[in-house]
Amino acid sequence: MDRLECQWCHSQNPPGTTTCQTCGAPLNVANVVSDSGWREAPRLRDMAKFHFSNSTCQVEGELVPVAEIALSSGDSVIFEHHTMLWKEEGVPVGVYPLGGGLKRSLGGMPYVITQAAGPGRIAFSRDAPGEIVTLVLHPSMEVDVREHAFLAASHTVRYSFERIKGLANIIHGGSGMYLDRFVTAGEPGLVLLHGYGNVFERTLADGEKILVEPGGYLYKDSSVRMQATQLNVRTGLFHHGMYMAEMTGPGRVGIQSMYHHHASE
Amino acid sequence: MAGPTSSNYICRYCRLPSDPSGVSCPNCGAPIDVKAAVSDSGWVEQPAVRDMARLQFGQSHCQIEGALVPVADFALGAGEGVVFSHHSLLWVSGASLEPWSQGSFFTRALSGMPMVLMRASGPGRVAVSEDRPGEVVALPIPPGAGFVVREHTFLALSDGVQFTWQNSPVWLQIRKGDDTEYEYPLGPFLDMFVAPGDRPGLLLVHCPGNLFVRDLAPGQAVLVQPGSLVYTDTSVSYQLHAEYPGTSGLSWRSYEYRTIWLRLTGPGRVAVRSIFERPERYAGIVGSSPMTYQRW
Repeated sequence: MDRLECQWCHSQNPPGTTTCQTCGAPLNVANVVSDSGWREAPRLRDMAKFHFSNSTCQVEGELVPVAEIALSSGDSVIFEHHTMLWKEEGVPVGVYPLGGGLKRSLGGMPYVITQAAGPGRIAFSRDAPGEIVTLVLHPSMEVDVREHAFLAASHTVRYSFERIKGLANIIHGGSGMYLDRFVTAGEPGLVLLHGYGNVFERTLADGEKILVEPGGYLYKDSSVRMQATQLNVRTGLFHHGMYMAEMTGPGRVGIQSMYHHHASE
Repeated sequence: MAGPTSSNYICRYCRLPSDPSGVSCPNCGAPIDVKAAVSDSGWVEQPAVRDMARLQFGQSHCQIEGALVPVADFALGAGEGVVFSHHSLLWVSGASLEPWSQGSFFTRALSGMPMVLMRASGPGRVAVSEDRPGEVVALPIPPGAGFVVREHTFLALSDGVQFTWQNSPVWLQIRKGDDTEYEYPLGPFLDMFVAPGDRPGLLLVHCPGNLFVRDLAPGQAVLVQPGSLVYTDTSVSYQLHAEYPGTSGLSWRSYEYRTIWLRLTGPGRVAVRSIFERPERYAGIVGSSPMTYQRW
């Protein structure tokens, strides 16, 4: 029997479905790719539903979409606690055990990842117009996400953060000091991101390079190397350095069209 | 099959008898021919007012134009008017503008509310818009009824609607050094809009992001982020709820993990928006309006 492959997450869906059951992408809409090779992340249909483990996620709204998660017993999601929009009172929340949190906290960066466990419902949204991007992580995948850009992730994903390497990258990179890293082991996982504006993705070949505005960077496969690079821009007498993030393949790079400078807390 | 007729059709969004023959409700502009978008948990998504939809009130009408940052464009009948905040005025043609105040202007000024309201009176046209992407939500108010609305979200209201306020029922006392300060998760005041007893009123609010509405049964409660509240029926009660996640032994700086929720208890309609400012952490709470606690 024919199965429908989702163009976004490459999961298989039974015939007749119009929304991917794994990532929520519309199945009956063609890929939108610009001439330069950027592919537009699929706009999730209002009220689109998809599944992870035994739980369901529904995406509602189009300007500032809300991810509403119906957790079943035994499942949980992790998130930054200020993204909670509403919840059922009986859904327990706990702090996600996180190595190095103390160091980060002492450095003046309060950083707490919260975990909510099923059964029950909880909903998340962010503070500006944009779209929800679902990254389905097949087993043994690793993605790096701009800090403070993830909305929620399933419990099957291991979360950690990586300090961005190199002082120049931190000072001039404009991508923050840390990357959020999501890793799956034996089980698939789901990461929901909120991209500001529209989100575009491209896949770089091995050694292929592209420069992106550091504020526009949203996510990348861990195999993609990111390096701040100075461009020489002359403005009159002044020699002005402008930094861009140089991404080197292989792997996917995702950007957002409205870049938003998050406060670090 | 006989469709709904104008004698029995009630608009799902403004709950008023409406006319199903058009494409949008003449009272609130909600599209008529769309399926209700209801999430599995019971929140109804307010559909965006269709571009160029018309609302009727008195002898005047209002057209909603645009989809990203919608404009409310009023064609005012003679002797009728609308009231709005001066910073939302986009253009005016023919209508005359005058300052407007109702009730105790002085107290409002003292409380630091932007009280420079304007009234445009017909005949003529005037248009208002806000400065953020979002939706314009029209709330027709039946005679004598009213709404409680988050402050600074109102865009325009029709003549005769009584615009008052109440002190916020939820507040916190925060100790900062030697001072104790009050913090208001909903802002210090809530706006109250009540229609006159003899005729309906129209209230337009601007909602950044999307708006979701649900009806709470008597005693039914939901926890929402205080920053997301847009409006409720006057029958809904408000309470604070502090939730501390289980920290498995880590207790230091636990206020950083805490979430201050707003518990809305029915009966009545409640509306939240999907966009909200990042909540404050409120370190050092020493007092508050009635608040419940949950430590997981």
